[in-house]
Amino acid sequence: MFNFKHEWIEKNVGLMLIATMIAISIGGLVEIAPLFFIKETVEKVDGVRPYTPLESRGRDIYVREGCYLCHSQMIRPFRDEALRYGHYSLAAESKYDHPFQWGSKRTGPDLARVGNKYSNDWHVQHLIDPKSMVPPSVMPRYPWLQTTALDYSDIAERLKALRQVGVPYSLTQGEYDRNVKDFGADVAATLHIPDAQKNLIAQAQSGNFDGDRSNVSEMDALVAYLQVLGTMVDFSKYDNDEFVKFR
Amino acid sequence: MEWINWFSKDENTKPLALLIFFITFCLILIYVFGSKKRGERLESHKDIPFLDEDSDTKEVK
Amino acid sequence: MAAVGVAGTEQYNFDIVRKFTIMALVWGAVGMLVGVYIASELAWPFLNFDLPYITFGRLRPVHTGAVIFGFGGSALFATSYYVVQRTCQTRLFGDGMASFTFWGWQAVIVLAALSYVMGYSQGREYAEMEWPIDLLIEVVWVTYLIVFVGTIMRRKQPHIYVANWFYLSFILATALLHTFNNLAVPVSLFTLKSYSLFAGTQDAMTQWWYGHNAVGFFLTAAFLGMMYYFVPKQAGRPIYSYRLSIVHFWALSFLYMWVGAHHLHWTALPDWTSTLAATFSIMLLLPSWGGMINGIMTLSGAWDKLRTDPIMRFMIVALSFYGMSTFEGPMMSLKDVNALSHYTDWTVGHVHSGALGWVAMISFGSLYHLIPKLWDTKMYSEKLINIHFWLATIGTLLYITAMWISGIMQGLMWRAFDDFGNLQYSFAESVAAMHPFYAMRAIGGMFFLTGMLLMVFNTYMTIRQSNSQASKLEINPAKAAA
Repeated sequence: MFNFKHEWIEKNVGLMLIATMIAISIGGLVEIAPLFFIKETVEKVDGVRPYTPLESRGRDIYVREGCYLCHSQMIRPFRDEALRYGHYSLAAESKYDHPFQWGSKRTGPDLARVGNKYSNDWHVQHLIDPKSMVPPSVMPRYPWLQTTALDYSDIAERLKALRQVGVPYSLTQGEYDRNVKDFGADVAATLHIPDAQKNLIAQAQSGNFDGDRSNVSEMDALVAYLQVLGTMVDFSKYDNDEFVKFR
Repeated sequence: MEWINWFSKDENTKPLALLIFFITFCLILIYVFGSKKRGERLESHKDIPFLDEDSDTKEVK
Repeated sequence: MAAVGVAGTEQYNFDIVRKFTIMALVWGAVGMLVGVYIASELAWPFLNFDLPYITFGRLRPVHTGAVIFGFGGSALFATSYYVVQRTCQTRLFGDGMASFTFWGWQAVIVLAALSYVMGYSQGREYAEMEWPIDLLIEVVWVTYLIVFVGTIMRRKQPHIYVANWFYLSFILATALLHTFNNLAVPVSLFTLKSYSLFAGTQDAMTQWWYGHNAVGFFLTAAFLGMMYYFVPKQAGRPIYSYRLSIVHFWALSFLYMWVGAHHLHWTALPDWTSTLAATFSIMLLLPSWGGMINGIMTLSGAWDKLRTDPIMRFMIVALSFYGMSTFEGPMMSLKDVNALSHYTDWTVGHVHSGALGWVAMISFGSLYHLIPKLWDTKMYSEKLINIHFWLATIGTLLYITAMWISGIMQGLMWRAFDDFGNLQYSFAESVAAMHPFYAMRAIGGMFFLTGMLLMVFNTYMTIRQSNSQASKLEINPAKAAA
């Protein structure tokens, strides 16, 4: 060998910086970069759409309260999880999630498909006092969600930020038309940023998530978010093995 | 020369990479532990924490 | 500071080391107190008191932030600034910049904790700080790199000692990880709220590349740097094998960056990524144990020190826990084991066997070695160090045992079927079964916290005693000069 001496590195901080940088960069490059380029990483599925303004604000509250520290949103392909939670999660189902909320711990159950499993009333009661619905629960009580009015004054700014990171909320007519094509007219209407505030209030009114139509509370938003989780893809349309090839 | 095609196949990148890393690792091992003289030279730096004169006493081996 | 004419105080910048040492102890106490509190919340949920600010979800990042970045970070700043000066035999580069890293870093910890209780979070574990705090970290960190490299560049010793390699790779890796994991677009310039640049699968991968390497570089490589200086110093003998340290430094730096995806086994992350991560996780056992062997064998021939020297005991037990948890880690990264262990308390136990057993104990040992040197006196009470050692050891064992039992039990209960092929337990039943172990964990934490508080007291008394000695010397300057 060309008479290499490790002392070169041991005596030259510049060399050491470069060598170390190379050593620590390779792993991340090899594992992360391809995920952005390999198409099969996120499979094509019908039904997955960005969150409505109200659901999106609910998601903000979910992140704010640190729900992800005790609840996962990622069902694994096991028989017990299929029975308990439903079909295993697809990458496509979180493709509009900034940030992802897959979680790492189940102090409480997985929530990836909690949508439509319980009534709105159940959720409201459970969030106000978990033990009243699930006696052994160790979840904190969240009574203030019901009494705090949702601040939706900056909803347009929030959606614009999400649009900047790639979520297809529409600002222009062109983007709106594209959404009509991709998601259908009904969904596209909820993704239009200029109408965000109107849509948010309308959904809270018609959905009546917190059982009180007189105002839009944080409870409305959070329950609206929980009720949509895992409901976007209609798995009855797909063969059981359809998604295995993406794994 | 048929065997050379093995390197061009996508599905072989993993074993190939492992091979490269493993060979590098072996070379490092051979370099570090292969020669007694070089070994002594490399080991000579371990006293640096004690070269700095201060009140704590250094035990002699 | 009062320059008493003690040799070394002018030659080196110990002032900054003292500051960081004190803050390491303060954040240790605060962070562990919050840890005990949130552990108690899980055992006795009434402790949430219906107050948004102290619910488990908001306090948990306060705990992780205060112990990892407050306690661990300050201990690393303190020891790295000390070690780099002593092994390069030169004064720290840039007093002003070093001072900035101190105030900047403390501001980061305080602002982060305040923002969490107020409900501002990026929703990424161990990186919950919102974007303005992230920017501040970035600036502080680059300054840290400049101070550290600057000091190395003006060293009087031609060779860069191995401890500094580890500190250097920790600083570089942390900069890299922090930058890429916190890419986000703020809602507006006047709000803390932001949305991450990546989504879903890619975001998950980036986060756990960060998350595991926060463990790998912040909590391992850097503390190995600490180990490479303080274990030989305390043992009074050089490190067992410098050659081994060369091999294991490069292997560790290279391999760690691959393993993050083992946090995402069986998820929607493509299989190739998590398989690759599992493979590298197994390989990582070798360099990890290389470090452990190098540390423990340094004491070979002087094992009697373990009987007499509680500081040495801290260090050796730390290395033992390091060896234990770096064996447990690769095992948990096997897909079949992970299928059981993931999402359970087992993971929490594993983290804490590393965090309490390795990170905290090696820091305690190193700081007990360092404090008397910084204040030019003896520790106030050796007996208290010994008591601290036992409290810490018992606390750690209680904690990880509780989490092993509850974790494995959760995993088994979730996948149990009855004779008819139905799920045997409801989720709620598994929660109910955890209660005694959550209580046991909280008690383990209390032991550990008590030890930490003893250390704070011991250090306080040491500094007080040093100050009174110094003032006595000043009364009699002739004696001081002698």
